[in-house]
Amino acid sequence: MKIEAKKIHCVFAWSWDIPGDCQDGTQGPSEEDVCGICRVSYNGTCPNCKFPGDDCPLVIGDCNHNFHVHCIQQWLDTPTAKGLCPMCRQLFSLKRGVSINEAQVEKFAHLLMKSRPTALTTDEEDIMMDQEFLVR
Amino acid sequence: MASLPKRIIKETERLVSDPVPGITAQPHEDNLRYFQVTIEGPQQSPYESGVFELELFLPDDYPMEAPKVRFLTKIYHPNIDRLGRICLDVLKTNWSPALQIRTVLLSIQALLASPNPNDPLANDVAEDWIKNEEAAIEKAREWTRLYAKPK
Repeated sequence: MKIEAKKIHCVFAWSWDIPGDCQDGTQGPSEEDVCGICRVSYNGTCPNCKFPGDDCPLVIGDCNHNFHVHCIQQWLDTPTAKGLCPMCRQLFSLKRGVSINEAQVEKFAHLLMKSRPTALTTDEEDIMMDQEFLVR
Repeated sequence: MASLPKRIIKETERLVSDPVPGITAQPHEDNLRYFQVTIEGPQQSPYESGVFELELFLPDDYPMEAPKVRFLTKIYHPNIDRLGRICLDVLKTNWSPALQIRTVLLSIQALLASPNPNDPLANDVAEDWIKNEEAAIEKAREWTRLYAKPK
């Protein structure tokens, strides 16, 4: 018997590369794994995006809580957030050494600075105090 | 009006299909962000014989902003004022988008079970509560009989 392939349909599946210890299962995120803010699958989009993937990436927190970048960014931008993870209320920072986090590092460093203006002013006051002491 | 976010649709569906015991929440026909809520008074609290009506509104920024919740039924409680406004940390400074309508309503039910006169909203009630707790609890029972729907 001779088989001739006339047409080929290629189908691809993708999912975010979440390291094993950042999720419950061992094989990639399942549909059960949802963003703790918008409750849409990691592989889906935040409420404002149309296309999943690089346009609406996922980030992994140091606390192992994962969110769509747009969701967690919008949260950290509110004054109520105080820079905290919505799930565990620890200061939210990106987990290091995770490939999908790399493109977002700078953005989140900036957000973290913004969330601690009070801490910064105290530091500045401390420095000014120190200088006064030096003058005396 | 912009379409309703998926999260709100999901939450509403679950509130109806898998309701929290002692709590109901029904979205309004004309405004799916406005809910009519009832909470049963917790057992062993002065509110236990009554069912309390509340209104809950999801602002445009929800879940970045907490839902707005208010008691419609008159209630004698140190953390709820005469306009029905509720003093509860998760509705204000401790809001998190990981919380939901159901968890907020559970927190309110828990607040009924454990009034906190040291962090008052209704100052006169809180004073009564601290001065003479027994009398305050009796008054809360009486108001429940007078104003709440019987269970």
